[in-house]
Amino acid sequence: MNHKPQLQGVQLKTKILVANRGEIAIRIIRAIQELNYEAVAIYESPDKDSRHIRIADEAVWIGDGPRSDYLNIDKVIDAAIHSGAVAIHPGYGFLAENPDFARACEEAGLIFIGPPSDVIAKLGNKVMAREIMAKAGIPMVPGTDNLKPGDDGLAEAIAFGRKYGYPIMLKATSGGGGRGIRRIENESELAEQYTIARSEALAAFNDDSVYLEKVVVKPKHVEVQIIADKTGETIHLGTRDCSIQRRNQKLIEIAPAFQLSPELNEEICRTAIQAAKAANYFNAGTVEFLLDDDGSFYFMEINTRLQVEHTVTEMITGIDIVRTQIKLAMGKNLLFGQEHVQLRGHAIEMRINAEDPQNNFMPEGGKTITVYHSPGGYGVRLDGFCYQGFTIPEAYDSLLVKLTVFGWSWNETVDRLKRCLHNFVITGPKTTIPFYLNLINHPDFRKGRFDTSFLDENEQLFEYDEQTSEVNKLARLIAEIHQKKQNTYAA
Amino acid sequence: MIRITQKMAPAEVLEALRQANGYYITNTARDMSQSDYKNRILLHTDLMAAEAREEAGYFSLEITGGASIHVDILRKQVDPFLKLKLLREQMPDTMFQTLCRGVNLFGYRPYPQNVIRLTVREFAKYVDVWRTFDFMNHVPNMEAVFEEVAKAGKINEPCICFSTGPEHTDAFYVKKVQEILDVTGPEIILCIKNHGGLGTPKRIGELVDAIKQAYPELIIHYHGHNTDGNDIGRIQAAVLNGATIVDASDHSFTGFYGPPPILTVIQTLKDYGKTAIGINEEAVIRSSDVIRDQRQYYSQFEAQIKGFMPTVQIHKLPGGAMGSSLEQASKGGFLDKMPDILHKELPRVQKELGNWWSVTPGSQILWTTAVTNVLEGERYANPSGDLKNLLLGKYGPFPFYQPADWIYEKAFGPDWKTVLDRDGGLEVIDDIDIDKERETLAGKLDKEPTDQQLVTYLQHPNDAVEFFKFEEKFGRSYVLPPAIFLRQGGFQLGESLVFRDHDGKEHLIEIGPSQEDEDGRTNVYLNVDHSQRTYIIEPEVQKGAACQETLSKGEIEKLAKIGDIRAPFGGNVYDISVEIGQEVKKGDQVAILEAMKMQTPVISEVTGTVAEITAEVGLAVKPGDKIMLIEPSADE
Repeated sequence: MNHKPQLQGVQLKTKILVANRGEIAIRIIRAIQELNYEAVAIYESPDKDSRHIRIADEAVWIGDGPRSDYLNIDKVIDAAIHSGAVAIHPGYGFLAENPDFARACEEAGLIFIGPPSDVIAKLGNKVMAREIMAKAGIPMVPGTDNLKPGDDGLAEAIAFGRKYGYPIMLKATSGGGGRGIRRIENESELAEQYTIARSEALAAFNDDSVYLEKVVVKPKHVEVQIIADKTGETIHLGTRDCSIQRRNQKLIEIAPAFQLSPELNEEICRTAIQAAKAANYFNAGTVEFLLDDDGSFYFMEINTRLQVEHTVTEMITGIDIVRTQIKLAMGKNLLFGQEHVQLRGHAIEMRINAEDPQNNFMPEGGKTITVYHSPGGYGVRLDGFCYQGFTIPEAYDSLLVKLTVFGWSWNETVDRLKRCLHNFVITGPKTTIPFYLNLINHPDFRKGRFDTSFLDENEQLFEYDEQTSEVNKLARLIAEIHQKKQNTYAA
Repeated sequence: MIRITQKMAPAEVLEALRQANGYYITNTARDMSQSDYKNRILLHTDLMAAEAREEAGYFSLEITGGASIHVDILRKQVDPFLKLKLLREQMPDTMFQTLCRGVNLFGYRPYPQNVIRLTVREFAKYVDVWRTFDFMNHVPNMEAVFEEVAKAGKINEPCICFSTGPEHTDAFYVKKVQEILDVTGPEIILCIKNHGGLGTPKRIGELVDAIKQAYPELIIHYHGHNTDGNDIGRIQAAVLNGATIVDASDHSFTGFYGPPPILTVIQTLKDYGKTAIGINEEAVIRSSDVIRDQRQYYSQFEAQIKGFMPTVQIHKLPGGAMGSSLEQASKGGFLDKMPDILHKELPRVQKELGNWWSVTPGSQILWTTAVTNVLEGERYANPSGDLKNLLLGKYGPFPFYQPADWIYEKAFGPDWKTVLDRDGGLEVIDDIDIDKERETLAGKLDKEPTDQQLVTYLQHPNDAVEFFKFEEKFGRSYVLPPAIFLRQGGFQLGESLVFRDHDGKEHLIEIGPSQEDEDGRTNVYLNVDHSQRTYIIEPEVQKGAACQETLSKGEIEKLAKIGDIRAPFGGNVYDISVEIGQEVKKGDQVAILEAMKMQTPVISEVTGTVAEITAEVGLAVKPGDKIMLIEPSADE
């Protein structure tokens, strides 16, 4: 028997603030609304035409930015308090991995949807994270602690290079996201780069600490999605392969990381859970590993947030990670155990960016999308935020839409991906689509033979014709003749 | 008696023409397009007719030259070289012919010698017969073209421009032919260029006969216009007196000011025992049939006044300028003044200025002068820059007599003799740095231009760049039939448009609804090859500073006296000669306006500093529109 709720005056819905923009803001807003909460968006002036504002139940302008207001902890907390939000989802980027932000939320009595601030803090410090993992017996790329200051540090570095051989990585302790890293090929280069790296780290991160790591040559980048509740129950949602990168930034992500033996796959996932537990991890996170071609793998880092590429994991598990994140943060415990997680098929995600791959992936910000037509159909998921007539703000990243496809076999998935890329019509800015089409037509991609050196070793991927099809150009002329009631170019 | 084909060497062609027992026909499709359709017949239509025209067996197809190259890029949005290449693929045997204005090439004023030579070299890759003329019949103005055509191994067809009047005697023209032969030698075809369709059949017969008597070996090509409805008569007289080639075109498209129908020429001369050599009559008829249905889409370009115009014998306007002149009269709102202009003022101006040949660019000078004389009420009050140049002899010496002193005085003031002594004489245009032009164009296109793009650019720089941008944006639009490309009033909702693109791929576009958003932009929905697309059309942006109400001539002059320079007449800004902050003296040229193909300098009435430039090159202006502001100096 249906039971209608009684009217009890005005019932205020629980509000959650989304401290982000673009596609990820929309992704999170959707999950919030599906949980029957209300979503509060924030925005800076350049984002005033952004779609996340319209989709949210409420939007708070936080300043002219650009970026500085999305990064302003006080303003974001204020927006949450004034709108009556009880929780904040940080998305990825901006304040997502800033322990000060998580702490500010905690102090303001707001629920931070992610791990506690101390977990973020210790895992965000590379050296501290390595210490924790080493103690827990997680395999590590051979490396050093923070080098001693001055010449002592250099001596330490030279000794490391002689022991493990070159190349080695010289990394800024406070760097991240591909920044503050330099590759050293030999001893003389090491001497040369050591001082520069320190002064640059000081300038960029206000911390001149650096450390060394051995370089695993041509590794695969394999990561594991983990979820932990407050009771310490920790499960994994399988692996992802994010090897195809440019300058250490991921372009294409695949789930599961395939062509690994089931044993190796199992071992990596088990290790990930062990790593999460060692860090007292809570909520969703990602444990990243480097996989050598001999099957050995090394801990890289734990990303204490939702990943861009979480969609591929959702496709192969059927689990809504963002929904789970919110429920865990709001005090629920995991309702399913590892034995309930079924991985099936393959998923690939491509980041359709407004960039010109032929011009060093130069962002195409400031351009207006004149035509936007997206693919659909079985096994296709789109996470985007732009629309026809939308002018891409120059201030932010160039991600327009994430295309995620699912298929039962690898070949079916690649075929579907190819079909979708062909079906996309985006005119105005240049996009990464033609480059991706080139890439997935590469025989090695089809065979699953790729590692982090794939783009560097395949220069020909950048050779393609950047042209709107002839019929599209003619159709534009026809549209003008139609709209203006005559051909003004023939008048 | 053989069909002449493009594969024959020039010497073989000339030999075949000398041996001809009968006559050959040139299909002057270009002149028909120019005279009766304002040059708008699209490549699409020419390609439709190509197969039948090829089979028809003409001496040549006149398909480029005259004003057509400019209109190709300006209004038809087709690359003039691509056009020739595509037609050549469809018509491997037919020679292509052009009409070249000598030192003026395909434009309206003289080009530097190195531009002329480069242009001829590039076009000669496609064009076999070069009909070249000079509106003053001044042979040196054609020499560079003659030389380059000969060097390229193509056929020279120099013209004597023909007109009527007491000075236009057989003796004069026979002597002119000698002047040409002295330069070219005997291996040419001589064209009698009757661009107005002037004179009676008897007069043309006599002239052909006189030339034939003097030069029996000379091959004569008679070119005429049907403006008075009697060109068939003149063609008949020309052939019966020894002309070997005549001009006509496809009957389904013939109008009033261009060539007469080919089939009528054939039928008429057959009765005199004259055979059209190489001609397949069935294919001549078929050429007309295959394009007949297309004519309806060009009706918007047919002349404002329809019907034959036997009064051409009085006003002498060339057929190629009829359409554009009548269009100007219609747009300028002075169609009612046409009888005065055409039948009184134009013949008067013609006599006053020397009774030379009314053909480009001379015909524009005569026409503009007559129109301004009538519209302004005062004769020669506002002489164009080109009229001044003409009076100074910059285009060539007057063939019969110099205009009267009072006209010079009107144009140059009381000191006109000093001006004439100082500035008079044939204009010598210095060579330009072509490599530098290539660099400039590369900068504008953002890529290295091809030689053909460079040549197109050198003809009409601004319009060429606009065309290249059009092609970049809209593709090769020649594939669209006139029913699409020239559509008026938009398409029907649900209408299906089918065409093949440049690569031969067939496409289907269905017209969907349109929707305007709050910013005035329109979203046009089209179904392109079965996939839904939206095209956003931005609202038109008004450029420059259009003047709301029309200022009188006196008001414009008054404003000029305080440095507020307004357009004195309607036209296009051809050049801005100064920059902001530049100091100018009273009498300095600050801009050039172009109207009716004539350029007129805009002069500063004050000494001072350029404070503001409102107009830009290429902008269309009405009388009274702002050009620039000059801050007069304090001591003014």
